[in-house]
Amino acid sequence: MDFSELSHQSEIRDSLDKILIEQCITENLKKFDDKFKHDEELLSLLATNGYLGLGIKEKYGGTGENLYDLGILFEKLGYHAAPLSLIGCLVDVAQTIQKFSDDERHLSLITSIIEGNIHTSAILEPLNQDPENPRTKAEITGNQLTITGTKYLSELASKSKNILVSVNSHEGVLLVLVDSNKTDISELRTTANSPSFKVDLNSVCVDRSSIIHTEGRGLEALRYLIQINMVMRSYLALGVTEKMTSLIAAYTSERKQFDRVIASFQAVSHRAADCFIDLECLRLVNQQAAINLNSNLDCENDALVAKIWASNAAHKISYSAQHLHGGIGADKDYLLWRYCLLAKECELINGSSSQNIERLGLNITSNQ
Amino acid sequence: MRKQDEILVAEMLIQLNAKQAKLKSELQEYFEGLMTPALKAELNNPNHFEGGGPEFKNAMQTMGADGWIGLSWKKELGGKELSPMEQYIFVETVMRTGFPFPFLTTESVGPMIAENGSDWAKEEIATKILQGKLIFAIGYSEPNSGTDLASLKTKAIKEKDGYLINGQKMWTSLANFSDYIWLATRTDFEVKNHKGISIFIVPTDDQGFSMSAINTLGDVRTNATFYDNILVPDSYLVGKLNEGWSLITSQLNLERLALVNHGPVEELYNNVLNLAHQTKINKDQYLTDLSWVKHNLAQVYSGIEALKLICWKQTWIMESDQLNMAEASVAKVYGSEFFIEAYRLLMEIMGELSLLKNESELSILNAKLERMYRTASILTFGGGTNEVQRDIIAMAGLLMPRTR
Ligand SMILES: Cc1cc2nc3c(=O)[nH]c(=O)nc-3n(C[C@H](O)[C@H](O)[C@H](O)COP(=O)(O)OP(=O)(O)OC[C@H]3O[C@@H](n4cnc5c(N)ncnc54)[C@H](O)[C@@H]3O)c2cc1C
Repeated sequence: MDFSELSHQSEIRDSLDKILIEQCITENLKKFDDKFKHDEELLSLLATNGYLGLGIKEKYGGTGENLYDLGILFEKLGYHAAPLSLIGCLVDVAQTIQKFSDDERHLSLITSIIEGNIHTSAILEPLNQDPENPRTKAEITGNQLTITGTKYLSELASKSKNILVSVNSHEGVLLVLVDSNKTDISELRTTANSPSFKVDLNSVCVDRSSIIHTEGRGLEALRYLIQINMVMRSYLALGVTEKMTSLIAAYTSERKQFDRVIASFQAVSHRAADCFIDLECLRLVNQQAAINLNSNLDCENDALVAKIWASNAAHKISYSAQHLHGGIGADKDYLLWRYCLLAKECELINGSSSQNIERLGLNITSNQ
Repeated sequence: MRKQDEILVAEMLIQLNAKQAKLKSELQEYFEGLMTPALKAELNNPNHFEGGGPEFKNAMQTMGADGWIGLSWKKELGGKELSPMEQYIFVETVMRTGFPFPFLTTESVGPMIAENGSDWAKEEIATKILQGKLIFAIGYSEPNSGTDLASLKTKAIKEKDGYLINGQKMWTSLANFSDYIWLATRTDFEVKNHKGISIFIVPTDDQGFSMSAINTLGDVRTNATFYDNILVPDSYLVGKLNEGWSLITSQLNLERLALVNHGPVEELYNNVLNLAHQTKINKDQYLTDLSWVKHNLAQVYSGIEALKLICWKQTWIMESDQLNMAEASVAKVYGSEFFIEAYRLLMEIMGELSLLKNESELSILNAKLERMYRTASILTFGGGTNEVQRDIIAMAGLLMPRTR
């Protein structure tokens, strides 16, 4: 057993911190509070320095296949509230293609992504509780697929050349790349102002060669995509909640009421300690899920456990942080509020705690 | 034996009586009429969430003319002298409609001025409050005085023709459309903190008054307010000099109860229940067919029942002019923390759709859920922070020794 990080992983952590501290200063973040939250400059900086290749095989231009490395990136993006939404691109598209495709045309997208281009995914559907069973349909005739359906919460769809969509067909579930020009895209406004889109597909025609996996592996690929999406979102939540907890520690150690620092009230220090406990649990379940998904394509229970902890920690730590800050925590001139919004998105996107607990309960009782 | 029990059971009544129920439906009808489409539209605008717009001002004056302001005021002061229970019903009904009724102005500041104000204040200010023509902002908190309110530093110094006020307040909500600030100041620097505080009425159109906006997570605006050599006449002092602390605390229990009224959360629960009932998740299933959705709904339901009963009981105790310290704090702590859990459970039911803002395509219930979760934390530290309330519960409810 070995929980320790490799030296290159600590280096990634430190050097990412350096870049993001500089780029995510309040002045910069403010620019994206109300308008399209996507920092092109930061994206190209990350690309130039090779960070978009984390978790990608060297032969495609990455730093080596390892989801733990990629987790560090999302943790840090969360920690610094970076104005970038990259799970669709780096996780759903790049990782799934890397694992399931042997077609050069698809694999070239990975290289394109590493260079800083956007190719996103559109998986979730309004009110569909079971993303493994898409309502979006593909009619297959000969070599042609005709796709119809509605997807939402697709990150950066407007910037994306290709969109990876999940569909159902008489051949079962498929993951298909669609040219974004063939879809209708409209911007949604989410609570954290994330660059999120509705994608309508009205009889969009694509060639069979746009399916990214070999025959019969569609469901397996989609399940893998959903699981790594959960785990990387949980890493984002880890960064968000780590930051909120460090803000609690710093602020309550300075703020005075009744002639003493408020951290010296036991109720305050205990509530902060509870945040620390949650964080420790979240960090470990994330680590386990990322490591296991490195060697096994299906670790649904590990992914669910990570996401359940992420949802719960995001909720609890957010309200602890707000409470322990008093009024200043709600003031948009202070930084906590951005993290509260991000925490809510991490909590609910790709399955809430209650929903995932039900799912986990079904899994662990159905194999008996 | 048996017989006596039955009589007791028959006497106990845990629901509104006929008179109270009648008041409730009367109020419901009145407010449905008051909430015109134009007013609703105005209140959906982030700049007017908390009132202050022209439609809001009209509605206030209409209410004043119709006698719906000053419910708690004594009859001789021009009020309706409603009982605590009737007041609770009023707060509940107004809050359910979403109208940002300025309770603090009309039910706290107003009656205090009517009772303790100078002749000028009684005539000029109290009357206009009853008519719905004046709004006050509450100037208590300062940058360094929040929970420890009694440490406040804004000062008022006696001069020949009145008092000279200097200092800064924080979080002065509504100041951006208020006529006056209900201002807590220090007037004696020698005595223990809470013994040297006095309350003044400070006009926001004074040259020495200024403010800067504070924008918050919940999109409600509040303000930092500044008081630079503002001279007010003696008649602007409310109550006796150095006895302001008792004015600050006199209405606290009623105010706390109003903060955790069960009306709005029950309204939200009903909205989500209805929507979930009508929401198909596939060919033959609705959201409410899912067992975890039933579980979440039931948790919120049982939480609301407890909140309603705590609030009713507190109000019932107040009817007989008694006060149970511990129970008032129970209501505040339980209510404020339950709201946070309830919003979470309800958001889970609607899932990612509840993340969408009002202006967004696909948003649900006017994005009420999306807005409520962002404002929920204020009640846990505002209105007497929950840690201090828990101290009170341990001391007054369990007779435990004081902590620290
Ligand atoms: C949106 C908004 C609107 C507001 N509107 C108004 C208004 O109109 N008028 C007005 O006067 N004020 C207003 N307030 C201010 C509000 O009353 C204060 O925020 C509140 O009193 C807490 O003070 P604080 O923010 O300074 O927090 P602090 O007092 O600094 O508290 C910070 C943390 O320390 C904890 N703490 C403090 N003392 C103790 C203790 N003894 N034991 C244990 N824990 C402790 C608190 O629980 C809290 O978690 C508003 C605030 C907000 C956010």
